[in-house]
Amino acid sequence: MSYEKCVRCGSCLQFCPMFDATGEEQYSPRGKAYLLQVMDQIEDDEELGKEFRRLLFQCSMCGRCEETCSSGVDLLKVWHEQRAKAVETAPEEFEYLEPLKDALANVKNIYGLAEEDRAIYWLDELEDEIPGLADRVYEKGKTAENIIFVGCLMSFRSSQIDVLRSLFKTLEKLNIDYLVMGAEENCCGHPLYLMGDEKGTLKLREHNKKVIEAAGAKQVITCCPGCLIQLREHHEFENVEALHHTQFFDRLLEDPPKYHQTEEFSYHDPCELHRILDIKTEPRSLINKMGIEFREMDLSCCGGGGLLRMTDPNLSDLIIQLRAAREKVKETTVITACPSCREQLLGQDLETKDIVELLSSSLEGGTE
Amino acid sequence: MRIRDVVIGANASMYYKLNFRKIKGVYYPRNTQEVIGAVKHAQSDGFTVTPKGGGSGLSGACTGGNDERVMISSLQMKEILTVSKDQGYVDVQPGISIDKINEFLNPMGMRFYVAPSSRDIATAAGVLSTDGGGNDTWVNGTMRDNTIRVKMVLYDGRLLTIDAKGVKSNDPDLEARLNEIGVTLHDVASSHGTLGFITEMRLLIRPVVEETLIGGLAEFSECNALGKVLTDMIERTSPVRYGEAITTAHKDVREGFDPPLLILEFPEENEVDIRDITDYKPLDSKELARMKDIRIKLPKRNPNEGVQFALFEGYGFHGDSLLNLQDSLNEVEALLNDHGMKPFGKYGHGPSKWYLGDNTPTYGLILHSREIRPEGKTGEELLDTVLAIVDKCEELGVTPKPEHKWPFSDAVKKKRLDDIRQVIGEGFNPFLLSPECNDVLGSMV
Repeated sequence: MSYEKCVRCGSCLQFCPMFDATGEEQYSPRGKAYLLQVMDQIEDDEELGKEFRRLLFQCSMCGRCEETCSSGVDLLKVWHEQRAKAVETAPEEFEYLEPLKDALANVKNIYGLAEEDRAIYWLDELEDEIPGLADRVYEKGKTAENIIFVGCLMSFRSSQIDVLRSLFKTLEKLNIDYLVMGAEENCCGHPLYLMGDEKGTLKLREHNKKVIEAAGAKQVITCCPGCLIQLREHHEFENVEALHHTQFFDRLLEDPPKYHQTEEFSYHDPCELHRILDIKTEPRSLINKMGIEFREMDLSCCGGGGLLRMTDPNLSDLIIQLRAAREKVKETTVITACPSCREQLLGQDLETKDIVELLSSSLEGGTE
Repeated sequence: MRIRDVVIGANASMYYKLNFRKIKGVYYPRNTQEVIGAVKHAQSDGFTVTPKGGGSGLSGACTGGNDERVMISSLQMKEILTVSKDQGYVDVQPGISIDKINEFLNPMGMRFYVAPSSRDIATAAGVLSTDGGGNDTWVNGTMRDNTIRVKMVLYDGRLLTIDAKGVKSNDPDLEARLNEIGVTLHDVASSHGTLGFITEMRLLIRPVVEETLIGGLAEFSECNALGKVLTDMIERTSPVRYGEAITTAHKDVREGFDPPLLILEFPEENEVDIRDITDYKPLDSKELARMKDIRIKLPKRNPNEGVQFALFEGYGFHGDSLLNLQDSLNEVEALLNDHGMKPFGKYGHGPSKWYLGDNTPTYGLILHSREIRPEGKTGEELLDTVLAIVDKCEELGVTPKPEHKWPFSDAVKKKRLDDIRQVIGEGFNPFLLSPECNDVLGSMV
């Protein structure tokens, strides 16, 4: 067991957003690994078992503990395995996750809305503004070099519409050959993966893979790092490359027009993007190419990952509140590149822009 | 029992299998008043009190043994209170880590010069409680040398302020009695939480020294030669700013290097003096950083097969035992082999400094040790090995656990703490001073 390798040095405590927010050791990676190491002493105590299972879901799965660990403990894997075991051991304690599981099984999105509505909300909103957008929605027989995987959050949340608008406008402006998966898009399976439900993800992945390959796409592009984890690491494409939108545009644009900057920016790098997917340079490169000045925020979690918004929304809020205060971002616009991070930031009334919003603005003539 | 009562047992020592039912309360106070509240809870119910810092120490003191006890963590007392650049001090709460102190001081060109390898998590009060040091202890001293004063809450709620000269208290009678027996900061250093809960510390800070340093790597065919070099450096008071020896390291973590070796950093103007003591290969800043990284990660990295563990975390080689380092190590290794231990690594600070129980400063090599965790050994067997090592150290003239010498040896320090506790009360961490200490520790391995 990998957790046995933990020497309990405590180095992870200083970086763990859960420990930072709560101040108590049970929320820390060391604390949880320690509980696993002494499990033989406590496993007969039902209440402790219940508390431990709850703790496993009080984590944003940001991976910073694993990055910090010098003892080679594969902590993210441990948390995944233990989450799966927890749900299997005591399903009654995770009944609150059932509606999500049901929604994914039945309508293949996290909101439980009709499958065919995936391309309705944003299309209604953007169709007039972006002529021909409806034709971009995938149907059997249509093919394109690139296919856009919008993801559940961006398909259904009005708070994400500005990002989608910018994404499509940019693709149009650059004459990209693309389709949007639309109603044929299934959830990528990331929420189930975060519950440790590997089996539940298989059908979703299979369907997505089939559609993407049928569209003849060489690249599948998404704005969502969570979706990208699934597409890149778990969909097992043979001739399709899964890309984050910042990677796609950074490769494409050597010298985009400069952004007309009138505001102060800070950059929040999404954990799943830089730490788990190791995509660090392209988002910054793109921002720099547009001549934008920004300050880096701490490479820490916003509290929006790992299903934490669902499993402990108060803790999730506390994490972003602490960061916002500590890093003094109220007066800045926070650049980011993840729909979940965006939701977290908007939830605290912070100004935020996705990198593609800045790019779209540059291309639309936001030049100095 | 709640999960927070269990998790408070997490610590880096091999003593981690606690009887959790004996933990009667866990507190994370943020200020002195909350500490007093927690101590009062313990006192009113007849529980003992165990202070805990970062839990990175290896002595097992922060476990509290097997007493019915209240655990008080300092991890939420992590504020910088005041700083005076002119007067050269910073006042901090006890739970702040050394790295955080220096993160705060760096922009003002000041530094707190104590650098244990666990400085990312080790708390200021925790380091004083073990009188820890680091790779620059040789130049800058141990924690006690860099602490000006501490404030402390006692078991009965009374408050003490202790510095190098003596004690002040809100109770004049207590103050007089403690000053009569000469209590000073020396007594708090390495007391392992047996006196009280430290609530505030005034630490010595100094300007960051601007000097050009040279990095070097000295390699040896055997450890007696290394011991001779370190002895020469000590005799000549060589201005080594960073000196870290690796005498053995598992092949999976030594990144191609072949110990014994000594990583050095010293002022440019002392190049000739150092060269006169030992031959070395110059290291550029990148190479030096790599060597430092290899060294600092040794206590944390694992071999490809098995897990490292700290059976007996340190040996203080000095005098003849340093001059005959290889011979001394051979005897230790033989003993470890006899007890079925596989070595993982030995590495540490040299030249360095530590204090004995009678507060005598001693100079030599602090060599940390890790073994590969053996399968199938009972806690009792492992503790027997530990006690055999202590005996071996005494035979060889080696200080056992120079940074964490407590609680296996040093009768002088034990006696001194006992005397002080007669005056201030015995509610803090009594297991360390009890005759059953070894049995209790053995039960937690």
